[in-house]
Amino acid sequence: MRRTRNLLLTVIAVVLFAVFLDHAPDFLNGYWQRILNLIAINAILALSLNLIYGITGMFSLGHAGFMAIGAYVSALLVLSPAQKNAMWILEDIYPWLLNVNSPFIVSLIAAGVAAAFFGLLVAIPVLRLGGDYLGIATLGFAEIIRILITNTARLTNGSLGLKGIPAYTTLFMSWGCLGVVLLCMVCMLRSNFGGVLRAVRDDEVAAKMMGINTFRVKVIAFTLGCFGGGLGGALMGNLITTIDPRMFMITQTYNILMIIVVGGLGSVTGSIIGSVLVTTMLEWLRFVENPITLGSFTIPGIPGMRMVIFSLLLIIVIIFRREGIMGMREFSWDIFFPKPKPKPKAEHDTSGNVLEVRDVVLKFGGLTAIDTLTFDIKRGQIMGLIGPNGAGKTSAFNVISGFYKPTTGTIRFLGKSIGGLTPDEVCKAGMSRTFQNIRLFGHETVLQNVMTGSRVRQSYAWWQTLLPFVFTDVIREDARVRAQAMNLLEQLGLDEFAEEKASSLPYGAQRRLEIARALATRPEFLLLDEPAAGMNPQESEELLQFIRRLRDEFHLTILLIEHDMKVVMNVCDYIHVLDQGVHIAQGTPDEIKANPRVIEAYLGKGAA
Amino acid sequence: MEMLKIEKLNVNYGAIHAVRDVSVNIERGEIVTLIGANGAGKSSVIRAIMGLVKSRSGTMTYTSPRDNKPVSLQGKPAEAHVKLGIALSPEGRRILPQLTVEENLALGAYIRDDVKGIADDIEYVYSLFPRLKERHRQKGSTLSGGEQQMLAVGRALMSRPDLLMLDEPSLGLAPILVEEVFEIIRTINSQGKTILLVEQNAFAALKVAHKAYVLEVGAVGLSGTGAELLNNPKVQAAYLGG
Amino acid sequence: MNLNIFIQHFINALSLGSLYGLVAVGYTMVYGILRLINFAHGDIFMLGAYFVYFATIVYKLPWAVGVVTAIILTTICGLLVDRIAYRPLREAPRISALISAIGVSFFIENFAVVVFTGMPRPVVQPPILMKPIELSGGVRLIPLGILVPVVSFVLVGCLLWLLYRTKPGLAMRAISFDIETTRMMGVSVNKIIALAFGLGSALAAVAGIMWALRYPRVEPFMGMTPGIKAFIAAVFGGIGSVPGAMIGGLILGFVEIMSVAFFPTLSGYKDAFAFLLLILILLFRPTGLLGEKLEDKI
Repeated sequence: MRRTRNLLLTVIAVVLFAVFLDHAPDFLNGYWQRILNLIAINAILALSLNLIYGITGMFSLGHAGFMAIGAYVSALLVLSPAQKNAMWILEDIYPWLLNVNSPFIVSLIAAGVAAAFFGLLVAIPVLRLGGDYLGIATLGFAEIIRILITNTARLTNGSLGLKGIPAYTTLFMSWGCLGVVLLCMVCMLRSNFGGVLRAVRDDEVAAKMMGINTFRVKVIAFTLGCFGGGLGGALMGNLITTIDPRMFMITQTYNILMIIVVGGLGSVTGSIIGSVLVTTMLEWLRFVENPITLGSFTIPGIPGMRMVIFSLLLIIVIIFRREGIMGMREFSWDIFFPKPKPKPKAEHDTSGNVLEVRDVVLKFGGLTAIDTLTFDIKRGQIMGLIGPNGAGKTSAFNVISGFYKPTTGTIRFLGKSIGGLTPDEVCKAGMSRTFQNIRLFGHETVLQNVMTGSRVRQSYAWWQTLLPFVFTDVIREDARVRAQAMNLLEQLGLDEFAEEKASSLPYGAQRRLEIARALATRPEFLLLDEPAAGMNPQESEELLQFIRRLRDEFHLTILLIEHDMKVVMNVCDYIHVLDQGVHIAQGTPDEIKANPRVIEAYLGKGAA
Repeated sequence: MEMLKIEKLNVNYGAIHAVRDVSVNIERGEIVTLIGANGAGKSSVIRAIMGLVKSRSGTMTYTSPRDNKPVSLQGKPAEAHVKLGIALSPEGRRILPQLTVEENLALGAYIRDDVKGIADDIEYVYSLFPRLKERHRQKGSTLSGGEQQMLAVGRALMSRPDLLMLDEPSLGLAPILVEEVFEIIRTINSQGKTILLVEQNAFAALKVAHKAYVLEVGAVGLSGTGAELLNNPKVQAAYLGG
Repeated sequence: MNLNIFIQHFINALSLGSLYGLVAVGYTMVYGILRLINFAHGDIFMLGAYFVYFATIVYKLPWAVGVVTAIILTTICGLLVDRIAYRPLREAPRISALISAIGVSFFIENFAVVVFTGMPRPVVQPPILMKPIELSGGVRLIPLGILVPVVSFVLVGCLLWLLYRTKPGLAMRAISFDIETTRMMGVSVNKIIALAFGLGSALAAVAGIMWALRYPRVEPFMGMTPGIKAFIAAVFGGIGSVPGAMIGGLILGFVEIMSVAFFPTLSGYKDAFAFLLLILILLFRPTGLLGEKLEDKI
């Protein structure tokens, strides 16, 4: 009902806008049509950079380079041989290139594909870098692309650029392209894969533990973003009709960056609003650079003033409203209607040793974090791992879950060695964990957090999310995963928070949500890192019951790090004690309580 | 003589109400300890006193022995506290890894300009912790956990504080070292410094403390002298593993 | 290539490299402390060049006075940038400060266009710096070519002295590792950060002045490319490390000059080398030559 209504409203809006575009040439002069075109192109560029940066969290400053590739590929394809012959004066054009020619639409796709191809080449080496380094490396690539274009005159006509490119970018063309990009992007972002992208941005470590190959996800997002960059560049070239390497300097990337920051990083709606605002503002501000006549007075125009005002506005926006216009919110027709409440349903199954840890040693440089650790966990057991701070408990978790490789020793999970596996592979094998310092995807809803956990068990491919109406599996599976997630939330008493932001939950609920998310990956083995930290006695009592329930209802085997002795002694079948990386004791809770070494190292002499 | 009076202190981290109506009183010359489980809010109290987190409500009044004038600590930045005579040895030691032992100590004396006095105090810290002297040119990152803890305490002493706050000084230390650390705490106190001690090792802390507060989920559950709490069955059950 | 020409190239590379180095030092100090790429730094460098141009050529002040005036004015600009555009964003996500930096960069460049006009202006070089000195073996040197590296090295030496032998220097190094702990020691963090901006801007001013003398002209966008390259030099040397910035700058200077000297056909690609070098080092040693390894915490 709500869906149909919203779809209908969208269709009506699109039709109305198409009618407007159709009649635009009747009442808008060339200048305003150009601005409309620029808005659409800037929106495409902003959306694509937003996909890379705002949504997936990769700081890229290379967009101008990918635009350049797109603009050149398209221009070379649509220019006629005669035009090319006339333009290449300094050096001769490559003969094969002279006669290449294609329709505009084909050239647009070729432009996107070429940019995406270069994007992929760039992504594979540089996406291993994080943060600012990635920004600088991509900026470097963009500059290299620009310099290559300047210096390969036989291919690109060098610094002279290309002139007389047919002005194929009509209003319908630019807005049509924007429509397609927007549709694909919204579909993808609404699917569970979109949740995965945002999860990688919010917490890459936690995403890995949800079975997500985060590197692959980043490469996909980056490459798709580059496609958009190439497409935008091509449209731009065919609008302005002249391109040269100097058009694609870093300033161009800054412009797009400003649009997405003003609109709101991570918001599709924001990118569109940002494009409208920034584009019109930049055009409108031209008045300060033209002479103004007031009666008999003429104030001379001041060159440069436009960017001065613009940059000042930008600084003011960033200081006083740094989340931009939309923040991470999106437009939805729902804001015009009162809010109904949703309702949902789901499952689970399984028998020897779940985990066998043999002689594991972990060293960091000279520091030994874990010194020969050996233990087994039987199916259905709840095992405790205790010891003072810095004893190596969390390091043990990190080795078992694949974040660190053991220096020596082997770890077998469900009979298979997992020593060299990465966290996402370990997760796929059926292991999941929580973190000492709660790592949720904070900007996402509670429901989306759990759904992201389920992505590892979904079969559709990321590209199918671009066209969910064709690949209906996407819709069906997402619906199923959503229902399962709701069910999980219900079982854990979190259903009332389903649509809240994860970071807004009270502390205890955040802990439970982290467990719910881990359960969504359908693990057989669950590692809990200090689940009772920060809970009061009553809450930890509830946690006790909850951990037992987890084992019985979800057929789990559990390994638990905990400081709260009451929880450990009551819930664990067996306990291992670490001290300064050394495995000093093991036994049943009663044996541990009576063990003198444990008392000295950990429980305190007062316990004796 | 009253030194630090905290009344109805509340601290929030986002949705988490970490400290709830905590009132603590510290007299000149005392060792006062805050004990409690992981996440009970002990560190939050100390960080609020130091001005590292903003408190939501409550008063914190500090009377310096230097001029006997009560001042409110509310809203003062951390650096201003040092000038008032309050120093903190933070949880996790927070040694500056790329600075040498001596540079870490010199940083502790940042607010002072008396070159001679600083040199004397460095010698004093070395006399407390002879191992630091052996390593005075080594970088902080090369020290062992115990040595880093000594350095953190020594560094806090370098500003010549009247009130020394120690956040989990025994954390992650081998049992023998823990005893050493508490011995030093006693020595420092006997030399005239007031000490506020936050500890997870309740047993050791209660033994040295004149006065103790037990924090539970952000609020003061029990308080009394160190000996009283040491013998309190509830405390024994909850924190002493009895 | 004969020895004479090689020496010319060598001196050239040394000058260019030390200029990159001087600018890079400013980037590295700010980044080391705030993890902020101060995109406006290249424009501060440009201001230095313009101020000296106006002081000596338009207002006809003696060179010494003009240079000092220019350095002071540039330093003030650097401090203002920190105070107005960065300090309100200390607690904000890093991207905000970065965008603000981009905004400031745009602002300074275009403000320069408004005030100074976009036309490049020629700088009249003092003849004493340009009179060639004849050395044995027919090698001729221009004093400016010697002056630039000497001044740069002396200044970086002074900076290192300040960082490693003085109290504010100690605080500055401490802040780059742990702002909160440093604050607990009684250090007024904002003052120390301002000091870093001030020192960086002063060095950029000196670099800008020498740059203006070397390529005798000034224009509003002259800071862009050297700025980006100097940042690359800083990353190359290991961001956060002052000696690293200088070494990175020198390597970049040598690669640029020597590659073109030995392979003149590649001159069109000159600007690409810096970026290529950068990407290579990021891939094989992401923390640069002298950078400290930062570990991810789980």
